[in-house]
Amino acid sequence: MKFRTILTIIGVVIGTSSIIVMVSIGNGAQKSITDELSGIGSVTTLQVYQDLSSMGMTSMGGGKTDDKAILNDDAIKDLKKIDGVVAVTPVVNLNGGEIEVDREQYGVSLMGVDYAVLEDMRYVTTSGKKPGANDENSVILGKDVLTSITYTGASTQLTESEVKPEDLIGQNITMTIKRTNANGEEEMKTQKLKVTGVLEATGGNEDYSIIADYNLVTELNEWQTGRKANVKKQGYTQALVTVEDSSVVNAVTTEVEAMQFTVFSMQQILDSMGSVFQMLQILLGGIGGVALLVACIGIVNTMTMSIYERTKEIGIMKVIGASISDIRNMFIAESTMIGLIGGLVGIVISLVLSVLINLVAGFFIGGEGGVTISFITPGLVIFALVFSALVGLLSGVRPAIKAANLSSLDAIRSE
Amino acid sequence: MHKDFKLGKEDINILKGINLDIEQGEMVALLGPSGSGKSTFLNVLGGLVPPTSGDIMIRDYRISEMTENELCLFRREHLGFIFQSYNLISTMTAMENVALALTFAGVKKEIRKERAIEALEVVGLVDRMGHKPSELSGGQQQRVSIARALVNHPEIILADEPTGNLDSKTSADIMEMIYRLNREENQTFVIVTHDPDTTKYCTKVIHMRDGLIESEVNQ
Ligand SMILES: Nc1ncnc2c1ncn2[C@@H]1O[C@H](COP(=O)(O)OP(=O)(O)O)[C@@H](O)[C@H]1O
Ligand SMILES: [Mg+2]
Repeated sequence: MKFRTILTIIGVVIGTSSIIVMVSIGNGAQKSITDELSGIGSVTTLQVYQDLSSMGMTSMGGGKTDDKAILNDDAIKDLKKIDGVVAVTPVVNLNGGEIEVDREQYGVSLMGVDYAVLEDMRYVTTSGKKPGANDENSVILGKDVLTSITYTGASTQLTESEVKPEDLIGQNITMTIKRTNANGEEEMKTQKLKVTGVLEATGGNEDYSIIADYNLVTELNEWQTGRKANVKKQGYTQALVTVEDSSVVNAVTTEVEAMQFTVFSMQQILDSMGSVFQMLQILLGGIGGVALLVACIGIVNTMTMSIYERTKEIGIMKVIGASISDIRNMFIAESTMIGLIGGLVGIVISLVLSVLINLVAGFFIGGEGGVTISFITPGLVIFALVFSALVGLLSGVRPAIKAANLSSLDAIRSE
Repeated sequence: MHKDFKLGKEDINILKGINLDIEQGEMVALLGPSGSGKSTFLNVLGGLVPPTSGDIMIRDYRISEMTENELCLFRREHLGFIFQSYNLISTMTAMENVALALTFAGVKKEIRKERAIEALEVVGLVDRMGHKPSELSGGQQQRVSIARALVNHPEIILADEPTGNLDSKTSADIMEMIYRLNREENQTFVIVTHDPDTTKYCTKVIHMRDGLIESEVNQ
């Protein structure tokens, strides 16, 4: 093989492997973030809120109930009727709780959900078990509930507690809440909570909360605020809707929005991230594309040179019976081979590079189980192979046609 | 038949009216001074360049009106060429050079090899079939090119000064071989030569001058 041809192949190798590596980095970033976000349950759980504008109207209008949608028990029943919905629970939050574990104080918030449907929600406990429908004082701990966040200057630091949430399973913990009464004095109330399990990471609020029964949380809320919540007129601030699987998320979202509620879902975030990553990939792929374009010019150049050098040979072949298409196909096959070999070598090199990138990234970022920065899908490999062969083929067409149309006699005379 | 070449804006008349009949199996020698149009005539005859006016008929085929692709198919089956400068492909062995003519005719690989060796046998070069042209003498290279012209068993072989680059001993050998092929296979030969000695076996000797036939002698 000629040195020139080898150089041209190297050009294709660089082009192909830069496309693959670039796109694989886009892929890898998307995969690791998507994996992070789509913890079990979170993708199939929709957060439903009362329409924010209607909430504002109601409070300003002094509890006036017009035709604005209210997220009360009737609405919860209606939500349950939507096709594809498995469970619906109102969510009641309580902030400002404190627990003491191992002589350390931790600020906690409670997230009250309906224990009657807890079994149907996609909450998974990593250890322990979920409380039953009647275990009113039992709770599940979020994975990061004992992790305290400290702000030092500009940076945020997560300090993991010595005590793991798992250590508390089966124990009773005491939570203290405070309120200021009418006389300006501070009052305290303690509540015993029995820990039955620890929740697997969801990527949502649950990770930093204690999941409790909503009746209990409502009771504590009433003590803290000193008044009874009028759920029927004011509604819950939030409800969680669990759906069958991710394929119905969009359909259910549409129906809930038609009921004039505001919906948030991980799916929406993933969708919008998807388009961000697509842009990232197009950008990175474009950089590789430029490299391949340069390779393409290299192939055209090499083929043109090679035809120039082999003019006499082409003339001889035509004289002894090669047809126009014989000559044309011969040169197109040659340039396609350059593209194909370059593509194959490029794929092998990018697979190696991908492993190296992940190794090096893993070394710097750390974390067990390795890090995926670069992720090469089979589709990407096939695409790269077809694309590089196509680049070779297309680059060869013009020179090949030029060669095929040489006059045999002029060609045979050239030296 | 006429042939003009464009030289700048002017058309110069190279072949100024050639009229010739050649029978199957004839051995035709084409003589004449350099520049008289012998090569041009041979190339027009083989369909490598089109005539400016007039007709060329080979059997029932009207060469002068064929498209390039038709000509190419025709050459494959009916014509063989031998050149003064051999025109072998330098990167291929003797055997591959001979077999190449069969590749374009769509002959299967094993058969190609078999027939290439057969053709090399005819020219007495089987023992050199693995050699590249640069490893062969001039006479041997010309014999490879003759084998290549023969391998398709064409009815007509056109040779343009086949011995022009060879010494007299080798020239005589090559001409002997050509006469033998003509006798044994009844192939029609048109040979351009400037050596009057080589015309003794020819059935027809044509002298050209300034693009015209000066004399035509049947022997
Ligand atoms: N492609 C061409 N373009 C212009 N003139 C040509 C071309 N080929 C040949 N000629 C001219 O035609 C004349 C005949 O050439 P040629 O047929 O090669 O003569 P011969 O083979 O008898 O020596 C010469 O004057 C030559 O210069
Ligand atoms: Mg000549």
